[in-house]
Amino acid sequence: MSEHNTDTTTRSDTDEQSAEQRRSWTESSGSGTVNIQDLTKVYGDDGDELVAVDGMDLHIEAEEFVTVLGPSGCGKSTVMECIAGYLDPTEGEVLVNDEPVEGPDPSRGVVFQENRLFPWKTISENVRFGPQMRDDVDESRVASLFDQMGLSGFEDAYPHELSGGMQQRAELARLLANDPDIMLMDEPFSGLDAMTKELMQEKLLDVWEDDDRTVLFITHDVEEAILLADRVVVMTARPGQVKDVIDVDLERPRSTDIVTTDRFNELQRRASESIHDEAERAMEQAEGRV
Amino acid sequence: MAYARRLEQSASLLALLAIWAVVTMLVGAIPSLPSPVEVVVAFADAAARSSFWQEVGRSTFRVYLSFAIATVVAIPLGLLIGRSEIFSDLTFPALEVLRPIPPIAWYPALTIILLTPANIVRFIIFLAAFFPILLNTIEGVRGVEEEYPQAARSLGATQFQTMRHVVLPGALPSIYTGLVNAMGLAWVSLVAAELLSSSGLGYFIWNAFTAGEYPNIVVGMIAVGVLGYGSSALLRRLGARAIPWLSAANA
Repeated sequence: MSEHNTDTTTRSDTDEQSAEQRRSWTESSGSGTVNIQDLTKVYGDDGDELVAVDGMDLHIEAEEFVTVLGPSGCGKSTVMECIAGYLDPTEGEVLVNDEPVEGPDPSRGVVFQENRLFPWKTISENVRFGPQMRDDVDESRVASLFDQMGLSGFEDAYPHELSGGMQQRAELARLLANDPDIMLMDEPFSGLDAMTKELMQEKLLDVWEDDDRTVLFITHDVEEAILLADRVVVMTARPGQVKDVIDVDLERPRSTDIVTTDRFNELQRRASESIHDEAERAMEQAEGRV
Repeated sequence: MAYARRLEQSASLLALLAIWAVVTMLVGAIPSLPSPVEVVVAFADAAARSSFWQEVGRSTFRVYLSFAIATVVAIPLGLLIGRSEIFSDLTFPALEVLRPIPPIAWYPALTIILLTPANIVRFIIFLAAFFPILLNTIEGVRGVEEEYPQAARSLGATQFQTMRHVVLPGALPSIYTGLVNAMGLAWVSLVAAELLSSSGLGYFIWNAFTAGEYPNIVVGMIAVGVLGYGSSALLRRLGARAIPWLSAANA
């Protein structure tokens, strides 16, 4: 995926299959570029202003998997909500496929930490929601999503009857049923226990490797950020800016086993160092010392 | 278990009956106060006449028709007011001024603008049912967390679809509370309005009073109580069916 980035460092393609896959992705004319230009978001009025994001620049290629790593309160969710179209930037702009974002759009799917399945709809109704609104439900696709996400047999259950992990899988299924070009994920797995989280990460990697989608994935978990990404964007403490971009030159397809390799540990150390000072500053902010 | 529960639930009704019987026996000084036995006899008598059932049918139909119209008007209006600040600012103050006026206070004004007594009764019941439904709808809509409409928009739902599939069901538990309250108030104002008109159970009660048939007053009162209770029970049953995700949560 990273061939899209002209500014990336060279890397070794040890996995031939993966290299071949990447070429096929490169050839496909997938849309889904995200261009964040000088993005600034200020909350509140005069005198009581909070600068959440200050002049952030970031370019994400189509079909790239980017994780955003940042301390809590660094404005990473704000950035995502600007891309989703829930928030208007105070200054600067967000371009998707070279067009400015104007409100939410089904080509930009969103998943949050707390599930947003509609409590009044069954799992089946939730998963079908997007296509149903356009009167364009592909039954075989829905069936295979239920199968893929391990939701078969729970079609008629209501969300609250499912475990946290299943709710997140249902939410992911709902997103995929809608076939978005871009998936915006805001700490989707951070509420899950370690085992479930690992399974969800593998699910997500499978899903992404099968399809041509751009993913922007927010997390405060360094290991997760590296495991999933082509590039890890490290953000500063508030006001949020890009502090560092780390190219993850690990082979694809990946599984969670990769976390024990030397290269992984090296990348993890680098990311941890980069974020350490910012986390400290964020903590001071939270305690009101800054 | 279910049997024991039934027994508990009928306890208050039996107590009501007992108090009534004791009061009529003790207070023999008020001979015109009808006893339970006199009322049972009067009811058997009334039940044998089709005119009584006509009044029952007329009143029930009035309540249900006006209630249905109030529902159809108040819910969409409440959805709009709850979702749109502009629409709310434009309409809500006027509605808030009208709301404290007791429905029955409209009677003279409606007579002047040449409505027939039947239409006046319908309109008064409509007013009584309208406000609780409207207010509960608005409250329900404002209680729907913004995350859900946002999610719907991101999945490609139009404004209308978001309203229909997300805001409305999200507000439904509150709307349903409004409907149950509205049904009770509809029966209350029905009787008030019919006391002043010439048909229905309210008229039956008033007529019994003026004719000196005191047991019939109580027959009419009990009929209203039973019909109101039955309407609420029906509504509860429909509500449980319309909000399956909540009954599933309670199961």
